[in-house]
Amino acid sequence: MAQVNVKRKPLRIGVPKGSLYPDSLDILEAAGLPIQNLRDPGRQLIFREDGYEFIILRPTDVPTFVANGGADCAMCGEDSIIEANMEVVEMVDLKYGGCRFVVAEPAEAALTIDDSYSRLGVMKVATKYPRITKAYYDSIGTQVEIVQLHGNIELAPLCQMADRIVDITATGTTLRENNLRIVDDVMNSTARFIANPASVRIDDRIRNLAIKLSEVVASKENA
Amino acid sequence: MIATTPRGFKDVLPEEARVREQLNKKITAAIDLWGYDPIETPTLEVLDVLERGSKLDSTAFRLFDGDNKLLVMRPDVTLPIARMVASRLGNEDKKLRFRYNLRVFRDSESAKSHSREFTQIGIERIGAKGPAADAETIIVFVESLLASGLEDFKIEICNVEVLKKLLEACDASEEFNDAVLTAYHESNYVKLDEVLDAASLDAEISACIRELIRIHGGREAISRCRELLSGYVREQVFDELDKTYEIIEECGYAEYVGIDFSLLSSFDYYTGLIMEAYAPGFAKSIGGGGRYDNLLEVFGKKAPAAGFAFSLERLMHALSVQDNLALEPKAEEFIDQDDPEAFKKAMEAHKKGITTTIGGAR
Repeated sequence: MAQVNVKRKPLRIGVPKGSLYPDSLDILEAAGLPIQNLRDPGRQLIFREDGYEFIILRPTDVPTFVANGGADCAMCGEDSIIEANMEVVEMVDLKYGGCRFVVAEPAEAALTIDDSYSRLGVMKVATKYPRITKAYYDSIGTQVEIVQLHGNIELAPLCQMADRIVDITATGTTLRENNLRIVDDVMNSTARFIANPASVRIDDRIRNLAIKLSEVVASKENA
Repeated sequence: MIATTPRGFKDVLPEEARVREQLNKKITAAIDLWGYDPIETPTLEVLDVLERGSKLDSTAFRLFDGDNKLLVMRPDVTLPIARMVASRLGNEDKKLRFRYNLRVFRDSESAKSHSREFTQIGIERIGAKGPAADAETIIVFVESLLASGLEDFKIEICNVEVLKKLLEACDASEEFNDAVLTAYHESNYVKLDEVLDAASLDAEISACIRELIRIHGGREAISRCRELLSGYVREQVFDELDKTYEIIEECGYAEYVGIDFSLLSSFDYYTGLIMEAYAPGFAKSIGGGGRYDNLLEVFGKKAPAAGFAFSLERLMHALSVQDNLALEPKAEEFIDQDDPEAFKKAMEAHKKGITTTIGGAR
């Protein structure tokens, strides 16, 4: 196999910071990878360990890094994968980081929204995920104008900038605190192990890691 | 204000142009040794005509001409060559070997900032089938990449028949087949598992489809696949793939060729062998191809055929990362234009093959 050059290079693994970070480290550790130094990363973004290079990424940038070869493989939320719509190989459902994509609206607003939709023929929806939102509303045949935000989506309907929001929620607490209620489920999302389509075919270490990770997932489920 | 080019188009300045020229020359020479003749097809084709061969969803430009025909800037070269061979060389039952170096135009929603114009170098071999023909296609591919100076690369091959036959054996709904093909096409193992979990399928065949996408390796992967799928896929498919690989081994190219059953091309005209080339340093496939025995028939002439094409630009990226993209040095001389014998001297030098320029004092 012509893998001489590749073997010299450390395997570069992307780890998303934020809510997926601790579980991502746990599963990598359970698969036998040297991640101790990532537990308390400080401001460091690259960690070089024996045979590996870990890079800490913004969750939404993970697909970009993997698709463009910036990382050979990574842990990534399914939501980010779908939203990015890039060419990556989705290898393992890691089962952690579960969250729901929901449609929510101000608790007292139902009637006015339906009224204004039938008069205006279009509904305004605020979201961080325009692609998922568009696909969802296309599937139910509702015409929407999407207002893209980068955080605090709950504000949009409270400021009358949008009728509804599409956002992720783990427990629903933030929505309730902002007096929003869930009106529909869009999809569920969990963390995935993804790989660059070229790397996975050139470098056997990725497939081996995928096998180890799925073994860890299976043993957790059976425990 | 800077006058820009359209999105996804770029100029090629002299240094890059010279590198491209040198690469083209080396690659062309390697392919030519196998007896392939150069060929060119038009930049524009009639969309309807091409779409007889394959659905085209990543075309960059479609336009109407004065005859109200919907035209397309060619998104690939295989379809135009199939059209040309079937319509222009219809009655001669010749065995044909073509090579080309042409621009293609593609666009994709997920890569808005990327190139829309690519240089494709490739071959098509018409009128031959079987392991020797398949092996030749792969070997010429290997030698083209080696000739360019690329040292580290892998051409992954498989046979699309395997998955097709397996799906036929399932005898399931078209929806199920599409979902499986989409999961294979997107290399989405998780989605594939979900589709299989949701389907009420015989456990054994379900396990086969689940496992097939994960089979990869050298020649031994063919035996593993044969064992796994015995009863679903006829032995001949594996015999031929094995024979093809044997020829590649005999040529000493086994280290460059791998078996990978997760491959599925975005062009739906392939009927047997398919291949994709990958190189460290480039994040996507640098090229691919395969066998398309039914394609010429839709254009009016039945003949088996196979070929490959790769992107010169993608190859150059890979070469650059692998430190093999150098401009070959060239002897150059300069003659002052005030020299009364400047032109005479220049022409003397040119006769010896020395690049000589005339100009003002430097």
